[in-house]
This record gives sequence, C-alpha cells and structure tokens, in this order.
Amino acid sequence: MPISEPTAWGQLPDGRPLHRWTLRNARGARIDISDLGATLLSWQAHDRQGVMGEVLLGHPDAAHYLAANAFMGGIVGRWANRIRRGRFTLDGIAYKVDRNDGGNHLHGGHDGFHARRWGVDRDGDALLLNLVSPEGDGGFPGEVRVQLRVALSDDGTLNLRYEATTDAPTPLSLTAHPYFNLNDRRPDIRDHVIRIDADEFFAADAEAIPTGRQHVSGTAFDFREAAPIGSRLHWPDPQLRLAGGFDHCYLPHGPVGGTPRVVAVVTEPSSGRRLTVETDRPGLQFYSGQKLAGQANREGHPYGAFAGFALEAEAFPDQVNMPEAEGAILRPGTTYHQTTRYRLDTL
Amino acid sequence: MAPHRIALLFNANKVYDRQVIAGIGHYLNSTRVEWDLFLEEDFRSRMRDIHQFKGDGVIADFDDPEAEEALRELHIPVVAVGGSYHDPADYPAGVPYIATDNARLVRLAYDHLIEQGLSRFALYAIPTTAGSRWAQEREHAFRSIVTTENVEGIVYEGSPTSAGGWGEAVEHLVEWLAGLPKPIGIIAVTDARARQLLQACVIGGIAVPEQVAIVGIDNDPMAQLLNRIPLTSVIQGAEEMGRTAAHVLHQMLRGMDCSSTRVIVPPVGINVQVSSRFQPMRSPHVMRASHYIRQYGCLGIKTEQVADYVGVSRTVLEEHFKRELKQTVHQAILKHKLDTACDLIVHGDTTLADIAIRCGFTSLQYMYAVFRREYDCTPRQYLETHRKTAET
Repeated sequence: MPISEPTAWGQLPDGRPLHRWTLRNARGARIDISDLGATLLSWQAHDRQGVMGEVLLGHPDAAHYLAANAFMGGIVGRWANRIRRGRFTLDGIAYKVDRNDGGNHLHGGHDGFHARRWGVDRDGDALLLNLVSPEGDGGFPGEVRVQLRVALSDDGTLNLRYEATTDAPTPLSLTAHPYFNLNDRRPDIRDHVIRIDADEFFAADAEAIPTGRQHVSGTAFDFREAAPIGSRLHWPDPQLRLAGGFDHCYLPHGPVGGTPRVVAVVTEPSSGRRLTVETDRPGLQFYSGQKLAGQANREGHPYGAFAGFALEAEAFPDQVNMPEAEGAILRPGTTYHQTTRYRLDTL
Repeated sequence: MAPHRIALLFNANKVYDRQVIAGIGHYLNSTRVEWDLFLEEDFRSRMRDIHQFKGDGVIADFDDPEAEEALRELHIPVVAVGGSYHDPADYPAGVPYIATDNARLVRLAYDHLIEQGLSRFALYAIPTTAGSRWAQEREHAFRSIVTTENVEGIVYEGSPTSAGGWGEAVEHLVEWLAGLPKPIGIIAVTDARARQLLQACVIGGIAVPEQVAIVGIDNDPMAQLLNRIPLTSVIQGAEEMGRTAAHVLHQMLRGMDCSSTRVIVPPVGINVQVSSRFQPMRSPHVMRASHYIRQYGCLGIKTEQVADYVGVSRTVLEEHFKRELKQTVHQAILKHKLDTACDLIVHGDTTLADIAIRCGFTSLQYMYAVFRREYDCTPRQYLETHRKTAET
C-alpha cells in the first residue's frame, strides 16, 4: 500500500485532532505529510550508497509548527512571498491585507494556509488535500477553494498539483515551502552546489520587496553554471549583504503556465543526492536559510543559520503591485492550475 | 575605452590551473567585459618578469612561492588564487584571496571512504617544499580529522618525483603499501600521486579496492587515462574559483576595495569509480581473482587464466565464487566487460564498434547479443536512455 493509514499527530489549539500520512514508493523512499498546513514533515531518500536519510528540515511536533514562523514544509497561501505594505488595488478597489513581516504582508498573513487543518482524501496512490479559505481571509476578497494533489512516484518525484477556484476576484499564489538539506550528516547547506536556469532575478530592498529586474551576468546571482552556495555568499555584492544571503526571486527560462520546465538542480557532493525542481510558475524564490538560526529541529534543539535552503515556485513577490499584476489574479469562472515537482535521485 | 589588460599568472600544465582559467573565461563570456588577456605562450608563469608588465590587473597563482614577493611592488589590482590555510595568519595580507578548500577536499574523500565501510585510513602526501604548501594543508586536514574522530590514520610523504629516483621511489611505495594493515582506505593529495599508488598496488599484487581503496583529488582525465583501474577522485571547484577571481578583479577595476575579500570554494563533486568501491570479502582467492579480472577482464581472459593467477584449481575457485559472489568466474568476467562497456557508452564519444573491441567482445554482433540477453535492449538504446538521464 503506497499510502499509510493516518496516525494521530497532536491537535489544534481548539482541540481538533491532527494527523499524518506516509507516502511510499517502490524504491523505499517515504514522505510524511500532515493535514496541518498540508505540511511536508519528512522525506527519507537514499544516498549514493543506498542508505536512507532525511532531506527536509522539521520541527518536533505540531505545537512547534503552530508556534514557529519559518513556514517549514507547509503550503503557503493565499499569497506566497511579500506584498508591499500589505496594499494593492484590484478592479479599482484598494485592499489592505495582513501585515505580518515588518510592515509588509508575508505568506498569507497571521493565519495562512500553512497553519490550517486541511481536509484529506485518497485518490489511488495520491493524497488529495482540500482547504476552503473564507471571504476576508487575511484581508483577501472572495471565498477560495483549493485542492492539492500530492503523489510520490517511483523515480523519486514528489508531484504537487494545485487547483483553485474563487467566487470573487482575488490574488492567488500558492507554494510549497520545504527546506532541504540533502546531507543530514552536515549541519548546513553551504557545500550544496546549485544551478538555476534563469537570466534575470528581482533585486530587492532591505525589506525584501522587489525594486526591479536585474540580469544575473557578472553577479553572484548567476547560477546558470552550477556553483557552491557557500562560497557565493562571500562575493562582494550589495544585494547579498542587504539580505544576509540569498532571498531573491528568479525568473526562470521557458514558458509559464504550460508543461513544467526544469528551473533548478541542486547536488550535494558527499551524499551524491540531487534535487531537481520543475514548475510552471513564473518565479522561483531561492532562500539560503540565513535566518533559520534558533528554529527548533526535530529533537527540539536549535538549527543554525543556513541549515536548509528553500526553492519556492510562485508568482513574483509583490506582483499585485507590478504591471504584471493581472497574471496573479484568479477570477470567478476560471481555475487556478499549478504543477511543481521536486525530484530526488543520486549522481 | 580600451579593454583592460590583465595578466593571468598560472602554470597551466595541470588540470586545476586550466579549470581556473576556464572559469575566468566563463565569467568574461557571460558578461560584456572585454579583457586583453596576457598569458605566457607555453602557459607557464614567469613571476620575476611581471614587474615589467604594463597592464591594469593580475590574477595569479599564489601557490607559487614567488608570487607574493614578486607582486608586492605592483601598483595595480591583484587577485590571489591558491589553497586554503588552517591558520588565517598564512594568507597574504591586503590581497583578495580565492582559495580551494583543502580541508573540505580531504573531508569529502574521507567521508566517502567511511561510507564504503572502511575504518583504517592513510594519506599519501608529498615531501614539504615551498611550492607544495597546499599538500601540507591537506596533510594537516587529514591529521586533524583522524585525531578528532579517533581513528587509525597513517601519513606517508614518500619521495619527491624525479626521473632518476623513480625506481627506488616505487620500491619504497610498494614496501609501504605491503606493510599497511588491510583493508585500508588511502587518500592521495592529487591524482598524480593516486596514479603512483595504483601502479604500486599492481606491482605489489595488492588488490584495489578490496585491500586498498584509493581516492585522489583533481579528477584529472590524464591520470585516469594512465590507469587500468578507474580512479575515484574529488572534483575541485576550480572553475568557480576562476569565475570568482574574475568577478573580484572586475569589481576592483571599477574602484571597489576588495583587499579583505576571501572566498573559500568547496569541492563540487566526487567522481566515484572502481578504485574506492570497497566491498568486504572473506575469501582471499576471490579477492585476488577480482583484482586480476579488473585489470585484464577486457583482454579476452578465461577462467583458466584467473585460476592460474590465483594459484588454485578451477573447481576450488568456482566454489569460492559461488559462495561469495553467487556467480561463476565466467559471469564475473562478463559483468566486468559489460560494466566497462556501459561506462564507455554513457560517458565517452567512442563508437560502439570500438567499445566492443576495447571491452573484449570479439565483435559488435556479440556485444549486441549480450546486451539483448542481459539488459533486454541494444547498446544504442542503452546509450539513448542513459545519456538522456545523465544530461537532465
């Protein structure tokens, strides 16, 4: 049986019980997922030698996930990433949404999708996770219904297929927020080697709000040829200094909204593990985990800075305030589709 | 504006230096930066002449002991490239320094050997000279790992490599190898050193990787060519060092002060080959036989010759193979030929006909028949599926 029966996994503050499920593939890889935030709790995959190991960061229990602010492993919505001052105008109406990151909106606000209890059904080898986001959720208009289909295939691909509808126009940008460390025997991801297939990224201000597109060539952001993350952090670069590392949105090559294209590949030399990210989204946020210090690990001890990295496939940060705003709006009668895949194999 | 004139001072006869230069080239190609590059025609650097250079900047190999002194009086931007040091005081002052992470290179090799199940380790180093500080750093890294982890770690510096002393050096190396407790994993500070180890193992009749597992550093295709047993090797981030050095010099030419910039580049991979694929074996006969097959398996050998080499009868050898490997000697030879062929198919640009001959399949037709039987596909189909996977 590829999907386990649910097992009890803590509860919400109001007492409703939470659960976790395990997906397995034919090669012995396994992914644990919870109905709390549709969170990816754990991903066990084999290394070059065939030895299983954990590749995701995680907290000890549900209470920690509810209390923490790292969005670890969760599904983020309604709006992945930031909205400047939490303000935007849609069809002539000015909206003010939750401001939970300095003065800006981040990842759905005070009580985003990652902190909700999702409904769970099975569909053959896949899990279907459902969430209804009510009118006014986080300050956003319209009631949004989201369905996420999660499957783990035998080649090591975690397939995330999102669908959503709304009864009033609303910005919508969903993303998964797993933090990876492909070698669980190392405390940080500095030795990981990353390739990002993008010619441009968004330069950002001190609050991580985009200030404009910039070509990657001649900068520390050029990962069109694979390079170690750790040594790039030491390039003399004002953008890196401002963010304390990478926390920037790339614009990967290839068409948006069609067949998912490969946008990033990360390898870890010692374990031989390789992560390939494919998506149909326009943006790919690369976060090198500089602010993870102090977050609780599975044993309750603090993670250090750069303990994990995130590659979030999503709309552009603050896109609702860009000329491309309409691309991030879901309207009644249309369906939001997104496919993002994370594939793990070895070199 | 005329392009900046930049001198690259490297002894580009080694793969490492060439990759650094390739990285500089990548950086220039990826930007609109035009540099008029000065390199000696024979790709060897002559530090002493550099004070005559009328240019705008220098990227230099600071593993060269003359570099620091020769470039001190040069009043143009200089970016240093070299090995990392465990003692921060060893870095040259006031110069941006782009380093290969010597400690990480050794660590990656060591972790790999640990994962193979080995518990005894050695380092084949290089005698101390002014130009080999990087090797001393690797030795220091090895010593500190084995001390911290409290495992057995032996260091052998060997002799300097010279034509005159070669015979004696090899004899000493064989002697050292013979005297080591086995099984053992040995890290060589470069592939050139690893190649000497492999050769000495063949001369001394020591089975690689069953008795001695070997990991080199550089992933040098030249060292690979000269070995019968494919060498596992750590891949340095040398191209990234080149890109980094070019970027830093580029910023300095624009007026940025980078004098305290120090970028330590970790290794980018390890090319795992037979020399380190250690599997504990109980039967010394199987060990010796496997060693022989690995060297001569593609040269049309038969079970008879393997038994002769091991010094036991065919029947005895077959019994040992059955028990330990669950296969016959003939099957082991065939497997070696197939593995070698698959490797050549996926990683080289050799024609299938050449591969058939090189792997000891008397003809292309016979290789097709064996692929059909063992993999249920043709070598061409194997190539198509596996090259695709290798590229994505």
